[in-house]
Amino acid sequence: MQRLIASGVLVMVVYAVALIAGTAIAAPTAFTGLAQYFSPQYYSELYGGITGNWQELGQLFTHLQATLFWKIFLGVITIIPVIFLLHFIIIGAKKFSHDGPEILFFNLFTRIIHWIGALSFTLLVVTGLLIIFGAFFGGGPPIRLARHIHIISAMVFAVDAVFMFLIWVKDMFPAPYDILWVFILGGYLSKKKKPVPAGKYNAGQKSWFWLATAGGGVMAYTGYIIWGMGADLDTVRLYTIIHNVLGMVLVSMLLTHVYMSLFAIKGSLQSMISGYKPKEEVDILHSRYKYE
Amino acid sequence: MARMRFLCDTERCIDCSGCVVACKEGNHVPVGVNRRRVITMKQGEPGEKSISVACMHCSDAPCIAVCPVDAIYQREDGIVLVSKKTCIGCGYCFMACPFGAPQFPKGNVFGARGAMDKCTFCAGGPEENFSKDEKQLYGQNRIAEGKPPLCSAMCATKALLAGDADIVADVYRTRVFERGSGVNAWGWSRAYKKD
Repeated sequence: MQRLIASGVLVMVVYAVALIAGTAIAAPTAFTGLAQYFSPQYYSELYGGITGNWQELGQLFTHLQATLFWKIFLGVITIIPVIFLLHFIIIGAKKFSHDGPEILFFNLFTRIIHWIGALSFTLLVVTGLLIIFGAFFGGGPPIRLARHIHIISAMVFAVDAVFMFLIWVKDMFPAPYDILWVFILGGYLSKKKKPVPAGKYNAGQKSWFWLATAGGGVMAYTGYIIWGMGADLDTVRLYTIIHNVLGMVLVSMLLTHVYMSLFAIKGSLQSMISGYKPKEEVDILHSRYKYE
Repeated sequence: MARMRFLCDTERCIDCSGCVVACKEGNHVPVGVNRRRVITMKQGEPGEKSISVACMHCSDAPCIAVCPVDAIYQREDGIVLVSKKTCIGCGYCFMACPFGAPQFPKGNVFGARGAMDKCTFCAGGPEENFSKDEKQLYGQNRIAEGKPPLCSAMCATKALLAGDADIVADVYRTRVFERGSGVNAWGWSRAYKKD
């Protein structure tokens, strides 16, 4: 046993000496210059002008796009509808009589702007998701067409969002009671018709407004840069990450908006068609709104 | 199976851009697209070096990882190819590539990018070998013909090596041992050495 250990130590000492001597001898020979031209610094300098600092945003973008983005998008478009389905089954829709007196909520111009925005925004979300899940649909001409529809809808929505902003901004500033609204989740978790703290628009609608207009502006700008690669590559990578993350938020907000208007409050879609909401609904869901 | 690889010997590259021209002409590469380019560093200064770069045909390629339509794939011999019929021109591969290899010709809708074009190692694309489609979309398929890629085949100084990784490495190693590398490489100092 002792001999075994001794010989082991001897072998290790020989290796160590050889290693030290080897590097010392090898240093001044032909390989001196080699490291210089095959080192990471050399390549980073070489490609820096074309691809920026890949190790920072390039790697982050590659990692996020390859492993995370599509999973989160898949989660958003499956989990959120399931939650709403459960809500619809367990708590159900809020029902307000449409026979009583009604209050003008949206004038004709507002409704036109809303529906242009609705159409273009829905197209943006659908085509955006088609691009993200392009592999599932096999890519090629249909997904290429989706990209082209995406840019055309974006142009329409970008103009429309300016009007949306001007029409609604005066009613959309946060108010103290909005915090209360968030805490009770707008009263959507109970079946009771208790007045909910909200002005003409509730906290949910306000956040939807700001995300759709201001967030839409960010999406439009980042999308424009991504479309034309109109900046240095590191900026484009950062914008693509922002575009995707904000996209997740906007997709979930659109799903929420559609659920609220079509299912959660029965007949509330009518208010965006005729412009009128039932007085009963306004008194409960927008209790702080002082209408004439 | 052999692993295909490029290697540019920076001691030999003289920035003639012959590889760029050979590739562009031989493969009928779209206008505005260069599959290969020559980069010169420290131009006009001591230690000037040129290197010819194109797609590196990476193992675990980032472009394959990010492609939303799975248009990019890797052959068994390591060559990374793109299916131009599947590509939607989103540009993600260009953002992911550490070497700036993917290129995009201008499309026709609002300046949309066309399908991605990059170095194919002169191995064509997913279409049938020597088919008209393959020729038109990707250029020559010299690998299927048993020839090296155009760029390395025409390289006047034999700086650009392409082929089986082991053989390329052997050739390069032999060169380095014989002539040295970096400051020890043969050059003016060797030619006019006084001793």
